[in-house]
Amino acid sequence: MATRTSFENSNEIGVFSALTNSYCLTGVGKSENFYSVFESELSDHIPVIHATVGGCRFVGRTTVGNRRGLLVPSTTTDQELQHLRNSLPDHVVVQRIEERLSALGNIVACNDHVALVHPDVDRETEDVISDVLGVEVFRQTVAGQALVGSYSKFTNQGGMVHPRTTVEDIEELSSLLQVPLVAGTVNRGSDVLGGGMVVNDWTAFVGLDTTSTEISVIESIFKLSSGRQGNSGTGQSSIVTDMRSSLIDQLS
Amino acid sequence: MEVSGGTMVNVLCCMCGIPIAPNASNSCPSCLASKSDVTKGISTEATLHQCRGCQRWHIDAGKWMACDLESRELMTICLKNVNGLNKSGVNGEATRLVDAGWIWTEPHSMRLKIRLTVQKEVQSGTILQQSFVVVFVVRNQQCIECQAEFRQGSWKSLVQVRQRVGHKRTFLYLEQLILKHGAHRGTLSIETFRDGMDFYFPDKGKAARFITFLENVVPIKTKSSKKLIGTDDKSNITNYKYTNLVEICPLCKEDLLYLPAKTARNMGNISRLVLVKNITSLIHLIDPLSGQTAQMSAEAYWRDPIRPVITAARSRFVRYIVLGKDPVIVERNVSKKSATRRNKAKLAALTVAKEDDLGINDVQIEERSHVGYLMKSGDTAVGYDLTDVQFVDDEAEEARAAGKFPDVIILRKLYGGVATNEVDAAKQRMFKLQRLDADKVEAEKSKKAQKDQENDDMDEEDFLREVEADKEMRLNMNLYKTEVAMKKEEEGGKNNNDNDDDDQQVRLDELLDGLVLDDGPDKDMGEVELNEDLPWGGIDTFGMMEEGEKAAKDGIAYTGREDARNVKDKESAMPVSTFGQQFMDKKFTFK
Repeated sequence: MATRTSFENSNEIGVFSALTNSYCLTGVGKSENFYSVFESELSDHIPVIHATVGGCRFVGRTTVGNRRGLLVPSTTTDQELQHLRNSLPDHVVVQRIEERLSALGNIVACNDHVALVHPDVDRETEDVISDVLGVEVFRQTVAGQALVGSYSKFTNQGGMVHPRTTVEDIEELSSLLQVPLVAGTVNRGSDVLGGGMVVNDWTAFVGLDTTSTEISVIESIFKLSSGRQGNSGTGQSSIVTDMRSSLIDQLS
Repeated sequence: MEVSGGTMVNVLCCMCGIPIAPNASNSCPSCLASKSDVTKGISTEATLHQCRGCQRWHIDAGKWMACDLESRELMTICLKNVNGLNKSGVNGEATRLVDAGWIWTEPHSMRLKIRLTVQKEVQSGTILQQSFVVVFVVRNQQCIECQAEFRQGSWKSLVQVRQRVGHKRTFLYLEQLILKHGAHRGTLSIETFRDGMDFYFPDKGKAARFITFLENVVPIKTKSSKKLIGTDDKSNITNYKYTNLVEICPLCKEDLLYLPAKTARNMGNISRLVLVKNITSLIHLIDPLSGQTAQMSAEAYWRDPIRPVITAARSRFVRYIVLGKDPVIVERNVSKKSATRRNKAKLAALTVAKEDDLGINDVQIEERSHVGYLMKSGDTAVGYDLTDVQFVDDEAEEARAAGKFPDVIILRKLYGGVATNEVDAAKQRMFKLQRLDADKVEAEKSKKAQKDQENDDMDEEDFLREVEADKEMRLNMNLYKTEVAMKKEEEGGKNNNDNDDDDQQVRLDELLDGLVLDDGPDKDMGEVELNEDLPWGGIDTFGMMEEGEKAAKDGIAYTGREDARNVKDKESAMPVSTFGQQFMDKKFTFK
């Protein structure tokens, strides 16, 4: 189930929000519309939290996290850190990272088990990511892009990579991540996947411009079509199954 | 962006979902076409200006061009006027015009419609093609030439050409020279008078060019004056009208001169009694008795003008019949510059009798002549009879009375029907001449006008006779075939009937085909053959062609009246297949 939304007329909702299986962060906007969309979808299951990082609202690009933890850059103030710690569930570890590349959302892409990171990040950062998020860390590029967080997006179910990724790269990444991958776009052809959508294991939010074709690709690869986590594959309509199999046909 | 090595994966078009190779917008060409407008920035309305007077179209910067409707030339003008067609877009990608065609418009609607097809590369590898209609509003605007024609006194420079003689032959010759050299181009109008012509020019330069032309073909003297029309002291602009008086030397071909002794001595001690052989920028003289020639420059003439003792005019010409011819042995005179061998060879002693005397008396005259070689017994020639003439010039009269002059000076041979005194001699002539389109300024009194007309006709006939007896003169003119010549040609083209020595007479092969007389636009077009080479003043083909015929001839697409209604103003863009293009660009060599 993917929902179209926009943040103050911007389609790049992945910039202003971060979504994991155990919490959701949204930037502070002029109106509550953006927040309400998330709240209405998610508040039954996970907390949806207003947040800023270093006084800025583009929380999606500056932070990275998964079910177990949240990493924030060094620009985060103590107050903001305290607010996050207070709002997030107790089992989520919040950790501030002293990393030169402070847009963590751009340089790290992760699910609950694996993370891809920018090839240039510090050794220490890599260790912190591994410890806090409980993931295996790989230094990787996607379609020649070092900003793996911007140009790829994956969950425990599946993942999407930059449209120009080669078949060989996709196969390699797929074997690293242990999830099916597909090359795709959001926001009517945009290749900035991390910026255009936020997704977790049972729901996704995409930019308002995203076409139905793109949504159907997103839903099928992230296994969102019939709703909830855990029962993937059983309740899917035959159309989506067909589409996925056709996609996999193309890839192979 | 490019990742070298590895197979590109196909992504789904973000709009329609078909698998495509990833591109900048990640959409397939047809989806791209549906959302982009290739014709953006190209205006679909424009204005053209046409001169109502001469039907010409305005190109730019005051230049006008005549072109037919539906023609390739008009299309060029139209395309130049479409805004934004030749400009590159914001990103530098140029719109490429691939097709243009006419669409029928109602003839009186003052609209021209063209259908353009443009291609544009919207992103690398994707070319979109789109057709649209551009409507041109035709506005009337008078061109400069027509303005000048309609406005009184719009000329800037006037060249008045005058010759103070009693006949018009020089001007008839000049007219032919002007036509041959196209020297009249740029004139606003031409007027002819009994003793001259006026040429009106829009600017000083064109007039100067014309005067230079005259200088090269006839001995002239010019005088210019200017008249201040207006002045703007602030901008230091003054407006003048220039008048150039060009006087042509009054000596004409076949005039008989009695040179002053000193002049004759200076010119190679030529005989004082000489004929004017021909007139170019120099005055060419010949001694009819010895064949000795001399030239006189225009400056020399104007320094010391000479009046002819006999001016070539029909009234002074006497017709002679050649009875016999004898060779002449010229003994060398040391004191004189000898005649050239060519001229010497032409010399012959002729025995002639006046045509009028035949059957009355038996008077025969024997005299040398510089055109003797042309003659044979039985030919008719014209000459001056010096036996019963009274010269005005005292010195000449004295010499004549003292018997120092020959009795007769033969000028030239007569040809064709003129020689045999046939009534329709003029009609039998093989050639005709083109005439300048000049306004005739006639005398006010009808009696005088009629007399002038008669004189003009006579001068023209005399001129034609001169032309047919002088090969060199014909070199400078265009002679066109008449029906007589065409008939002769059909019969086998043997026109050189009798005299093999005669190199002066008109031959069929020196005549040009098809002189088209412009009868004006109202005449029936059916008879007149279209002359494609005519400049814009040529024949207007309006209404002659079927709709679309001209377009078909020029290879331009044409949408007829019926289909015109169905043409959409703007069609949606279509992707152009670039399949195989890379192979077409390659050069194959066969081994």
